[in-house]
Amino acid sequence: MLQIIADGLIIGSVVSLGAIGLSMTLSIVRFSNFSHGELLGWGAYLALMASTGLTALNAGLAAPIGPFSFGWGLLIALVVSAGLTALLALGLDTVLFKRLRKQGAITLVIASFGAALALRNLLLFWQGGVPRYYTQNLQIAIPLLPRSVWGGLRVTPDQLFVLTLTLVTVTGLHLFLSRSTLGRSMRATAINPGLARVTGIDPERVLRATWLIGGVLAAVAGVFAGITVQLRPTMGVDLLLPLFAAVILGGIGSIWGAVLGGLIVGLAESASVTVVGAEYRSAAAFAVLIAILMVRPTGLFGEKR
Amino acid sequence: MSAHPNSPALQIEALQAGYEPGLLIVRGASLTVQSNEIFAILGPNGAGKSSLVKAVAGLVPISGGRNLLAGRDITRTPAHQMVFQGLAFVPQTENVFVNLSVAENLELAAAVMKADRRERLDPVYAMFPDLHRQRKLPAGQLSGGQRQMLAVARALIARPSLLILDEPSAGLSPKLVDQVFAKLREVRDSGVTVLLVEQNVKAALALADRAAVLVEGRERIVATSAELLGDARIAELYLGRHTGRQASKETT
Repeated sequence: MLQIIADGLIIGSVVSLGAIGLSMTLSIVRFSNFSHGELLGWGAYLALMASTGLTALNAGLAAPIGPFSFGWGLLIALVVSAGLTALLALGLDTVLFKRLRKQGAITLVIASFGAALALRNLLLFWQGGVPRYYTQNLQIAIPLLPRSVWGGLRVTPDQLFVLTLTLVTVTGLHLFLSRSTLGRSMRATAINPGLARVTGIDPERVLRATWLIGGVLAAVAGVFAGITVQLRPTMGVDLLLPLFAAVILGGIGSIWGAVLGGLIVGLAESASVTVVGAEYRSAAAFAVLIAILMVRPTGLFGEKR
Repeated sequence: MSAHPNSPALQIEALQAGYEPGLLIVRGASLTVQSNEIFAILGPNGAGKSSLVKAVAGLVPISGGRNLLAGRDITRTPAHQMVFQGLAFVPQTENVFVNLSVAENLELAAAVMKADRRERLDPVYAMFPDLHRQRKLPAGQLSGGQRQMLAVARALIARPSLLILDEPSAGLSPKLVDQVFAKLREVRDSGVTVLLVEQNVKAALALADRAAVLVEGRERIVATSAELLGDARIAELYLGRHTGRQASKETT
């Protein structure tokens, strides 16, 4: 029982971070970006490349830090990948979405399908289809509770790292959106773009910030998926539907909604593995989604517009 | 900012504007708003009143003519830069950020101007004590009258030379219209020129120093409020009998 919850929170962390970025593009850029999942995949692989490069320069960077399976090399690679993925998101907007913005949301959605296909296949072409790992080091799960207590609880240090850093990232983002001028400008633009303009907020600046932040969060989520599961070129598309489920579940445009939605999706997936079998994981997430939308059509934290 | 001290607050010269190319709503309108006056734009439905002020604020594409704010050309200034030129605009509906608190609405406006928060907010709170009392409340929970007050307060944070309002009386009870209009008089007395679009002709003429009647995207009459109150053409225009042909049709 406890193990299911713990596993669900780990999956949920990855889904939450990805869902925040997707939710922000939905509410600020105003279209469903089906290429957002690919940013997670690219973020994961860019970190792998950076980490490989760094450890080739200095083998000491590969040495595991304390109880974790990875060394400083991967942490630096995470930062590098976050920057590159942010630029990738912004670049995609500049060459593709920005030019189509006047054509309306449907055109943008179709374009994002195309972008997703292109990004995924570029990754497959570049990295091959074989699953990869950041490190070959094995980790032993630490028993936190014995089997006699609700079935027991075992987690790896890596999983605790992922949970902690997710919490730190989301808190940091919350402070940014609630305290900083740019963050408040983003919330203002999401709820009322016309009024934001007459208040003196540059809409292009807000859009740029949205892409950059979405890219950073996608890279972090992708690396977390790589640490806790593995790297596959199809990891982006595999995560896409859970991301959308989380956004809709939490309510479009709400950061805490995306987090809670992500955790619920994670818990539903992890519970389904033991209850109905691993092959029904995604179906379980959608069953929860449908059940919640029947009670609350705007999602858990959805704002009326 | 005072490069042209003797220029009128706003000059609209032969302005043409519309959302779609080739489909003009504003068709060569010209108006001059003097510094420190309250000027009302009246006219029947569909005359282009809202489009005219939105075009001035940069929200409707302009295809001809020009706008001068205190003598400076603002025809091509993007909407988000208008506050930095001294023009603040209050939209008719959805004119506050409902997901932000009252204080956050005002703080955001001050932060965008890169101005000191206290220095900008304190005078506005002094003018709107009710908003100060409700500053922690989400703006979406304000009453209609207070919401309109917040919309005006938000615009004043930018310290504009010209405040433009699109139908500030819309959806308000007569008592609340009186309160909002009394506040606009206060705003003018503090040295801000006020330009407003109104459907509520009686209230508007009681407030404004001068007014223009807009018909088919162009000014038909420009006069002082006192002159307009006694003008028979006003009633005629509001009944829609503004073309000779229609008038004769109705008399036969």
